[in-house]
Amino acid sequence: LKCILYCFLFLLVFGRAVHAIARVSDEFCFDPLEKGLALRSVNSSRSAYAYVFFSSMFFQHYRWTAVSQPCQKEKQLSLPCKLIIKSVLPIFRCVNLLERNVEKCSIYTNTKDCHVTFQLLCRNGIVKTYNLTFQECDPLQAVFAKHLCPNILKVHSRLLADIIIHFPTSQEEVTLSVTPVKVCFKSYAEEDTDFSKTMLTEIQLNPDEFDYFQVGVDSKVTFCLKELRGLLAFSEATSVPVSIHFDVSGKPVAFSIEDMVLEASFILATLSDIENETASQEPPCFSQMQESKAEAIASKKPRQSGNAQNTASAAPASPLAKQAIKSVPRVTSKDVAGTEGTAITKTNEQAMLEAESVESRYHKVRTLPIVFTLYLSHFCKCCIFQFHLLFFGAVSFKEKDAINHTFHSLATASDTEEDFGNMQSS
Amino acid sequence: MRFRAKIVDLACLNHFSRVINTIAKLAKTCTLRLTVSKLYFILSDKVANGGVSMWCELCQGNFFDEFQMEGVAADHNEIYLELMPENLSRALKTAQSAKAVKIKLTNKHCPCLKVAVELPSLSSSSRIVTHDIPVRVIPRRLWNDFREPSVPDFDVSIYLPVLKTMKSVVERMKNLSNCIVIEANFGGEMNLKIETDVVSVTTHFKDLGNPTWVSEDGCQSSVQGRDLQSMAEARIDIKKLQQLLAGQQVNPTKALCNIVSKKIVHFILLHEDVSLQYFIPALA
Repeated sequence: LKCILYCFLFLLVFGRAVHAIARVSDEFCFDPLEKGLALRSVNSSRSAYAYVFFSSMFFQHYRWTAVSQPCQKEKQLSLPCKLIIKSVLPIFRCVNLLERNVEKCSIYTNTKDCHVTFQLLCRNGIVKTYNLTFQECDPLQAVFAKHLCPNILKVHSRLLADIIIHFPTSQEEVTLSVTPVKVCFKSYAEEDTDFSKTMLTEIQLNPDEFDYFQVGVDSKVTFCLKELRGLLAFSEATSVPVSIHFDVSGKPVAFSIEDMVLEASFILATLSDIENETASQEPPCFSQMQESKAEAIASKKPRQSGNAQNTASAAPASPLAKQAIKSVPRVTSKDVAGTEGTAITKTNEQAMLEAESVESRYHKVRTLPIVFTLYLSHFCKCCIFQFHLLFFGAVSFKEKDAINHTFHSLATASDTEEDFGNMQSS
Repeated sequence: MRFRAKIVDLACLNHFSRVINTIAKLAKTCTLRLTVSKLYFILSDKVANGGVSMWCELCQGNFFDEFQMEGVAADHNEIYLELMPENLSRALKTAQSAKAVKIKLTNKHCPCLKVAVELPSLSSSSRIVTHDIPVRVIPRRLWNDFREPSVPDFDVSIYLPVLKTMKSVVERMKNLSNCIVIEANFGGEMNLKIETDVVSVTTHFKDLGNPTWVSEDGCQSSVQGRDLQSMAEARIDIKKLQQLLAGQQVNPTKALCNIVSKKIVHFILLHEDVSLQYFIPALA
């Protein structure tokens, strides 16, 4: 993978995207695809999922080549890598200063030694190169049927920011409640909160304020504010309006932005209606999840394991864990050659994560009641992938050497991309 | 017991917010006393506060367009509430462009001051932001704890130097020491001193002027007969002084302090419609 961000505005947007993802988790999945670059992240309690996709057109040049040697199975193979946010954030730390100092940013991966390299060409001939090691990861993707949501709101990010600002930064959760004639954001406090010490804030808006307002079912969804703030900052940089898709309480809420060159979705779990729920073994949340998952899975490409619901492959440690696993179908990668060891460990790990999250939901935190389907990413050791994204842009004389070097490596790559021709800018 | 008030004028709202911000910097929790004509923010000199006490008085007519209050009883037509001024400050912070702010005493889960801010919006109806600030109603039997402090029998009374200058001096001194000595005399001189094992720093202010006080029997205190040079001094916690100075967002019309040697320093900051008195006890 090699891609270059030239225009400062795009660099700002990319930086903001990284910051937004940083609010969700400490690590993220850097997944270069043929059509563009995807960044994905899930938080540790599985209650927030962030996905940002930059299409190849976002970059001044984007080159993705798969140079594969003959393997047993010829598959569409992607190379997702897991990066630690702490290593990437410093690169885009002062996003606002990037504009002044950085002229070009190239990103390329080298799978042979597991590195992702970010190279910033700055003013005065300074070149900053960041080599980050990555771990392979199975890309997770939240399956969330946005089009099935009865409630859809669309609004400019400025409005959302103006609403959120009324809540203190320490406010963890807010409740969004809608009826066809009213929209209300309210700070959420649990039943056992000491109300004599807590300040509660509520904002009421008229549906007119939204660019698009559709309420199919009156609902109140409670979600975590922290993750949302990241998305808002990001969408302000892009000036793309934010769409909010949601359903009744318990079902996730998706905040997404979409434009010609990028799309982003932050899917957050919501608290289910506690009043209807006693401390039962099978929280309604999960059973709803199973149904929606079943639908979602049906619409997906057939998975290798076929029986998506059968996940009892990894022996769970506790009955709770078993519960959790049952409700979250996991593709067992046992049959995937070469990754057995990691697969099983992963599944166990996931089992434990699920167990934790199930227990914790009885207290407060709820897990994301959505499906995580794993791509069947088969990383065959005998395949080598190289991705190249190149940039052609106005190049200053000083940088000639750097560019020559780049051209040189280009020459060795296959040049089958149509994008290549299209992307060549004057 | 009822209370409702409304501010419509933006300038009044900003002024009120500034007062609340100042109070929020001085006290984590304080008492709000409501009477028909005035509001008071009071901090009584309990040990918990480190011995400092505060008395801030506002005329409601200068801020509120509507002000209705019914106290606990007809002959005690007042309300005493304990609250965290930081909450009120936060509620007003994002009301900079409000069309109106209404404050009302309510009792849903518990007694609250409900601050409702009406903000302009692009649509036909306004956006309404409501903050429920929890308060504690202080029963009548405890009202004696919150009486107006009397001006102490001071040794020296002097006008303060320009607050901005004083603030920057104190802020730098704060890095070096935990306590500061304020000394002043009737000759219009004031010194701020810190002393540690390694360093001592003194800042001298001159020509500050001394206010004339009218005593109870109507005669003005005269400077004659007083020793102009002799200094009254008190050693106080520097953080408390810094908080007082940092909280001032607008220059007061009059700023002075009364020093009772080795006992207490009494600061008086007067604005057009707000008066603030702050007492910092001397350290042993």
